[in-house]
Amino acid sequence: MGREVAESCVDSLLIEMVSSYADRFYATKPELAARRIESIGYQVGHQLSERYTMDRPRFGDHLDAIKFICKDFWSEIFKKQIDNLKTNHRGTFVLQDNRFRWLSHISVDPSPDSSVTSQDTSEASVENKAAQAASMHLYFPCGIIRGALTNLGIPCAVSADISNLPA
Amino acid sequence: MIVCVAVVGHQNNPLYIQSFNEGDDALKLHHIVHCSLDVIDERVNNPKKSGPMLNETFLGLLYPTENYKVYGYLTNTKVKFILVTTDLDVRDADMRNFFRKFHAAYVDAVSNPFHVPGKKITSRTFAERVSNIVKSFGLGSSG
Repeated sequence: MGREVAESCVDSLLIEMVSSYADRFYATKPELAARRIESIGYQVGHQLSERYTMDRPRFGDHLDAIKFICKDFWSEIFKKQIDNLKTNHRGTFVLQDNRFRWLSHISVDPSPDSSVTSQDTSEASVENKAAQAASMHLYFPCGIIRGALTNLGIPCAVSADISNLPA
Repeated sequence: MIVCVAVVGHQNNPLYIQSFNEGDDALKLHHIVHCSLDVIDERVNNPKKSGPMLNETFLGLLYPTENYKVYGYLTNTKVKFILVTTDLDVRDADMRNFFRKFHAAYVDAVSNPFHVPGKKITSRTFAERVSNIVKSFGLGSSG
């Protein structure tokens, strides 16, 4: 009975939210913007986890809950499962998604920055700026994961790392 | 007849409690609900006793009292649903069905962006839905 919404709407909403918080409300304090976006994600994840675990047996341990996040939760939100799950068996889990849906349309802006003269540095700075912009868009999904795990009884910290950008 | 339903949060904080009989005093029902929290804790922390129902959300009959039977349900998010009924022979399937509907109503209520997690559920729509589910439960078991 779930109602559906076009993926482009979700993309636009995310982009608009990030740009509102990062460039308008908290333009001078990027850490604050990140925290705000993360906390919105937290609330969303908190509520989604309630819904998506409705028809499941209870989780036996933390690993069960993490597996649920990797498989079912991930496919509900990002339409695919996690590609790789690693753990150090001390409570740290690394989830790797080789084609993260919400970043798949992000690309590096090719127009060179006029203030930078040297070719090498301009490329590096464009790359750097893109990575920064992309990481800004990852606070929301991080918050979602943290909210879901916290609601499942696993208080945690979630951070994201981008190895290489698409496009 | 279902006389009382309750939603209790993961820190045993009451989120919603509603009794459905006029004559009996609500305090007694609240007391029964309160006692059942210990039973749930015991069930969950000693999974050996409960055997095959190990990880089910439906906890079954928690305990019978003289006039009531108390049933429990524990979600993945450690929220407990407790039901007190005067029916002495209730089919498990009916009970499961009730809790499933109740859980759906709860999920919709907490998905409201204006609901603060961990606070009491004040939604009127939720109260209405719960009372409908409770009413239809009586019909289902008699018919």
